[in-house]
Amino acid sequence: MEIAGLLASLEASALATGIRNSLYLFPLIESVHVLGLTMVFGTIVIVDLRLLGLASTRRPFSAVASDVLKWTWRAFAVTATTGLLMFTTNAGTYYHNAYFRAKMALLVLSAINTLAFELTVKRSVRSWDRNAAAPAAGSTVAALSLVLWIGVIFLGRWVGFSSASAPAPTDTDIKIENLENLVPK
Amino acid sequence: MNHFAEWLSRTSVSLVIQTHEWVVPAVQSIHIAAIGVVLASVFMIDLRILGWAGRDQTLTETTARFGPWLSGALCVLLVTGAAMVVGEPVRELLAFSFWLKMGLVAIGTVVALIFQRSLGRQQVHWETARLNQQSIKALAVVTFLVWISVVVLGRLIAYDYVWGSWSTSLKG
Repeated sequence: MEIAGLLASLEASALATGIRNSLYLFPLIESVHVLGLTMVFGTIVIVDLRLLGLASTRRPFSAVASDVLKWTWRAFAVTATTGLLMFTTNAGTYYHNAYFRAKMALLVLSAINTLAFELTVKRSVRSWDRNAAAPAAGSTVAALSLVLWIGVIFLGRWVGFSSASAPAPTDTDIKIENLENLVPK
Repeated sequence: MNHFAEWLSRTSVSLVIQTHEWVVPAVQSIHIAAIGVVLASVFMIDLRILGWAGRDQTLTETTARFGPWLSGALCVLLVTGAAMVVGEPVRELLAFSFWLKMGLVAIGTVVALIFQRSLGRQQVHWETARLNQQSIKALAVVTFLVWISVVVLGRLIAYDYVWGSWSTSLKG
């Protein structure tokens, strides 16, 4: 009940209405979301491959991580912000969408995975920093991370296909031949 | 192009993709993961040129690390991209975003190939003089912007109406 009210007020907010009423804002926000997530994924792959001993093995793990992870976090901030903006436009639909829920669950698991790494293997980084691969626990975290993020990408695409979340334009002079383009694929 | 797209959409391969609903989102997901690898690889080489990352590595070492992943991911993009064109030819081939994107992909790929050739032939010159040239640093920034635009245009194929008459002119 409370959730339903919250979702409804999100959808009715000036921000959500503004995005829905614009022909261009949703596509722009979604494009930036994809840009952010490709940077998140691409940079995380670099760190995970290093942990697995599959790439950058001649550099200390800490050197690779300090080069890359700050960009991962910046890109994640962009992705989360744009994701939240898209969510507000159609909050009720997304909230009840099974793929959306599964995607959020994988993001939570990914956060737990990162936290587990920080609290355990990372604490002893000095002892394995220059080794080609991290200890077994570190490689496990890296493999899990790759699986989870690939899962996030797939589920994100399925959210798009199953929720038909395009903004409903209120523009009255919209060309009829453009209507078919409004359902994102 | 209109006729070609319509012919392509009636081929048996296209029909198989069209009738299996999971194929397009699955191929798109692989495509997105691969562009992530491309973007991050270009990014790391560009950061090295700018001196913002990997300063314990030579440019040659950085390129040796990311170059093969860049080429490999580009091959995955070519295959999955072709599958999407065959599966939804009208959506792709009549979109202004698609052709603009293809132009930028060509530019980005040619720049990467020229860079790799030049680095291989003039390694010392690159590691010393070239890395300090402002024009090379500017080119690194431009290259990254090209690939960013490729990602954005890829998503905009689904919203080609944003180009107004440029989009509809392709649709004849």
